Amino acid sequence: MIRQARAIEREERRLARWLVAPALVFILLGSFVPIAATGWEALHGHDLRLPWLGRPFVGLANFVEATGDLRFRSALLHTVTFAVITVPLELALGLALALIMHTAVHGRALIRLAALLPWAVPTVVAALVWRFMFDAQAGIISAPLLTFGAVGESFDWFVHPLAAWVPIGAADIWKTTPFVAILLLAGLQTIDPALHEAARMDGARAVRRFATITLPLLRPALIVAAAFRMLDALRLFDVAYVLTGGGPGTATEPLSLYAFIALMQHLRFGYGSALSVTVFLLTFGFALIWVRALGRPAVGDRM
Amino acid sequence: MRSVLRLFAVVALAWWSAACGERGGATRLTFSGSALGPEATVVRRQLARFAERYPGVDVELRVTPDAADQRHQLYVQWLNARAPEPDVLQLDVIWTAEFAGAGWILPLEPFGLDADDFIPAALAASRWRGTLYAVPWFVDLGLLYWRTDLLDAPPRSLSDLGDAARRVQSAGRTRFGLVWQGARYEGLVTVFVEHLSAFGGGILDAAGRVIVDEPPAVRALTFMRDAIGRDGFVPSSVLTWREEQARFVFQNGDAAFMRNWPYAWALLQDRSRSRVANRFAVAPFPAGEGGRPAAALGGAQLAVNAWSANPTLAWELVRFLTAPEQMLERARLAAQLPSRRSLYATDALAEALPIPVAQVRQMIDAAVARPVTPVYSELSEMLQVRLHRALSGQQTPAAALREAAREIRALLARSGLAAEDQTP
Repeated sequence: MIRQARAIEREERRLARWLVAPALVFILLGSFVPIAATGWEALHGHDLRLPWLGRPFVGLANFVEATGDLRFRSALLHTVTFAVITVPLELALGLALALIMHTAVHGRALIRLAALLPWAVPTVVAALVWRFMFDAQAGIISAPLLTFGAVGESFDWFVHPLAAWVPIGAADIWKTTPFVAILLLAGLQTIDPALHEAARMDGARAVRRFATITLPLLRPALIVAAAFRMLDALRLFDVAYVLTGGGPGTATEPLSLYAFIALMQHLRFGYGSALSVTVFLLTFGFALIWVRALGRPAVGDRM
Repeated sequence: MRSVLRLFAVVALAWWSAACGERGGATRLTFSGSALGPEATVVRRQLARFAERYPGVDVELRVTPDAADQRHQLYVQWLNARAPEPDVLQLDVIWTAEFAGAGWILPLEPFGLDADDFIPAALAASRWRGTLYAVPWFVDLGLLYWRTDLLDAPPRSLSDLGDAARRVQSAGRTRFGLVWQGARYEGLVTVFVEHLSAFGGGILDAAGRVIVDEPPAVRALTFMRDAIGRDGFVPSSVLTWREEQARFVFQNGDAAFMRNWPYAWALLQDRSRSRVANRFAVAPFPAGEGGRPAAALGGAQLAVNAWSANPTLAWELVRFLTAPEQMLERARLAAQLPSRRSLYATDALAEALPIPVAQVRQMIDAAVARPVTPVYSELSEMLQVRLHRALSGQQTPAAALREAAREIRALLARSGLAAEDQTP
């Protein structure tokens, strides 16, 4: 009897494996193979424009070159700094927006639509619009500053190595805050209103209730939103590509843009792949640490 | 079951023979290049005429992206894969050495070409290690546009240019003195090449040694930086401008001088849009101390794919397209300058071109090529970054050029192209 049951179980397990196989094959082909191929390419010296040099296996030489490459180092610094500054701002603004959407009584649909609009605009289009707004000659941001004498006649946002980050940061924050807000709104809606009710009965004010009820219960949603945003920010590409192209010089060049230039403009496939792998390791490593450090208890104990 | 199989076999056979018949009937030749606006008309017309001359030859135009970077990327992918098509390629002047060095295009000496008539700088850009790999098709020249209503004569020297620009600007007659292309892209290098020549400097010397960190080059870059900063006759926004932004400013009457390519002439003469129609002329970019007037050379060349199935026929197409009649037609319809010197003495060209030929002729002799090396695109990008850093005040010109030179030397060494060791 038991033996028979085991046989059936074994049979079912085999069937399960066959049923899962197609999905596994697609995951393998769709994500594992390209990543592995890029990793393999990264271990080769391969310059498309210098075919006479062949495609020798060079081990970790490309990665060693990257550590000594000042442009790579500053790109890495730009990427991490950008993520560390913009993500908290997006979380704060997103939380505020979510609270407004959550508590709004009148015109809920309209408020949500308005809040979500930036997220629906294609990034490249949004970046172009921001470019026009910061234009030194006619931009609606530069013109009033010029009139009030806050900046000189010769000031141009895109020519100053630090000021050039402002349009990039503004465009990214404007564009992705709604995404954060939506995630947090979903989190807010899972909080039982009875908790707030009880706290109010006990005489807790709004600030106290926000700090002791809303924030702790919103933690899982905040962690997920922060993780998504960090991963995106560490892969920053399109906004910088459209707004500044990485300039002036390479003052606003993030890692992904440098990898793109090494691959598609220099046609150094080996080195460019090594840079891409670095971006991948950076984001993957971050995700791993983030989930380990914060994700587990938050997901585990509440449900 | 069997009848189904038989039917399938019959259909397959019919399709196969039809396909063979089509292929057997005509030899196919593919040409790839830019076909935007008037260029498309010229190319289609000329390919059709070639096909008429060679019955049984089917010439196909394969349109490639107009953006140079994208076309370059596409070509590199095709040729790396040893694709036999397109048979004839339109190359930017700065790509020929790269493609020749990689063995992707055929040396043209065996076909025999009377090269004497071509503009020397364009011909030099068609050679790699002394061998001819491409034929100059049309040329582009960096021109100094100047306002005839504000000035009596074009500046005779670079300091003349600076003085005139400042004078006009401070008198409030224009908003800016001089505008050029300073965004971090290839255009910046062409502007730099003209300044370099004005001060007697260069990027690589004749032996392929890096000389971009030498005093004349530092003087040239310092002049460019001071024009933006200290002297203020060039707006700092040029560091984000390409050709069109500069043209809009000049067209609105906001600048006394503009450095741009010949394409701008016809647009600036369009009264419905331009405020400076009939109030400007062109001159070469003037010399500074120790240099000579210069016009950066751009333009296109034609080359034959090394894996082409019909190299002889492909060569015939190159010869046909670079014949004087075709160049004149191109000048008339697309306003592109012929690469044959003898045409500049003809009335036919004077009638065909919108720009007065007398003004163009002196620029032809002032044409300066950019470095001819297989790693040009990477070299140029290194230079763009450093130039842009110096011009936006992040580095001194001397430090920027020192680092650019160091990077370029490392690049040449890594690629087996260093001057000390000329064999790859």
